[in-house]
Amino acid sequence: MEQTILLVDDEPDLRDVLEIYLTELGYSVYTAENGEAALQTFQRTVPSIVLSDIKMPGMDGIELLRRIKTQAPATEVIMITGHGDMELAIDSLKLQATDFITKPINDDMLEVALHRAEERIAMRRQLKAYTDNLEQIAEEKTRQLLEVENLAAVGRAASELAHTIKNIAGALKGGIYVMQRGIEDDNRDYLMRGWGMVEGNVDKIKNLAMDLLDFGKSEHLNFQTDTPLRALNEALELLRNRAEENGIAFKVNTLEGVTPRRIDSESLYRCLVNLIQNAIEAFDEESARQDGREIVVELLPGPDDGLVYKVCDNGPGIDTETQKHIFKGFFSTKGTRGTGIGLMMTKRIVERHGGRIVLASGRGTGTCFTLHLPKNPPDS
Amino acid sequence: MGKKTILIVDDEMDMRLYLSTLLESHGYRPLTRRDGKDGMTSIREDRPDLILLDIMMPGDGGVKMYRRLKGDPALTDIPVIMLSAVTASSFRHFLTMLNAQQVKPVPEPDHYLEKPVDHDQLIQLVRDTIG
Repeated sequence: MEQTILLVDDEPDLRDVLEIYLTELGYSVYTAENGEAALQTFQRTVPSIVLSDIKMPGMDGIELLRRIKTQAPATEVIMITGHGDMELAIDSLKLQATDFITKPINDDMLEVALHRAEERIAMRRQLKAYTDNLEQIAEEKTRQLLEVENLAAVGRAASELAHTIKNIAGALKGGIYVMQRGIEDDNRDYLMRGWGMVEGNVDKIKNLAMDLLDFGKSEHLNFQTDTPLRALNEALELLRNRAEENGIAFKVNTLEGVTPRRIDSESLYRCLVNLIQNAIEAFDEESARQDGREIVVELLPGPDDGLVYKVCDNGPGIDTETQKHIFKGFFSTKGTRGTGIGLMMTKRIVERHGGRIVLASGRGTGTCFTLHLPKNPPDS
Repeated sequence: MGKKTILIVDDEMDMRLYLSTLLESHGYRPLTRRDGKDGMTSIREDRPDLILLDIMMPGDGGVKMYRRLKGDPALTDIPVIMLSAVTASSFRHFLTMLNAQQVKPVPEPDHYLEKPVDHDQLIQLVRDTIG
């Protein structure tokens, strides 16, 4: 590859001779008669090598070297010095000059210096290629790893999803069988029983689809300044009737001092709906109390101007074994309801707000889910 | 001769409804319990002719109940059909792993069925076992 050289010397004769000589060596040569002109030409032509006299009127070689090394540190600069300029020559080396040659210029010495400059350029190029390559390789490997990881995660999720659907399909089949018996035996009890099973499992598969859709939505949050009370009020609005039908009283406690802030209200609404729904369904358990059923929903100021949502019920509670798995997808209190995706989604949304979810529960003592959110989401 | 009693132990209500309807409509008397603890009580009190046991239940699970059942000389002869959502080979592996840790190995159940349970297959199996 042809190298370009910028030749800087205030002596026209020497410039001419060197230009001819360098051109013959195969360089493409630009010339300048002083530091200022050299800097302009340098910026325009960006040569890989600069050959400059050290002593020039106006901007001298040392200053030119300094400026070139600031602008383009990879430029090889060879200084031409007179006999008595040893100190200047040493200064130039301190300023990262590639080499210096002395006047009168010896062709051999010049060639050695040029050769050295070219070697350094080639080495630098090679190194850059290696480095770029290395980065590329690392990137490629990382991408492959991520793909494998993702595929594994997708595979796991798909197999769990398949299992959940298989369970529901099994129960549907059971329901249909019970209905068939009802028709064949003319047994109204069987008919009603089977109908209930079919209905319940159609609901389950609908909920599964909704949960999956919601989970997909929680991938990207949309933060907007909003009052945190809105998500809570809308969730209560949605579920109030259902709670009443199940003989559950809502107690709402929202303290002053929680100001509007950047949140994704829509996602937080889904979290609260999920938590309150879970609380309502907890009372479906056979061991749940019949009287004094209560769900307490709170919005409180948290530390450092953060906020806290709290959903507590006085239902049967969750045993410690179940608590260990409860935030993992597709873990559910088995078949009886839900898919376990809801809590996984809630956890994800809270974490994307920079917050955390805390569960406190015990058999017979009820269950409390607390969402701690910082003042601002992490990316703002 | 009275109807034969079959105890169904399963934590899922849908499964209990399905199995009890299936057995009832084929002339058996089904009893249903939702965990191993209640199941054990029922075995002692009702002395069923056959037990349909879901093996993968949370809480006081099916394995625990099965072990207690097999450890009691008065009850050990009651035949058991085990059910669960895992394949038969996974179930055998599970049993092998379980027994590897036990001083007294748990005997294999009389039959194992993978859920979802085909009604004809189950009824055939019940007939083969207790008539």
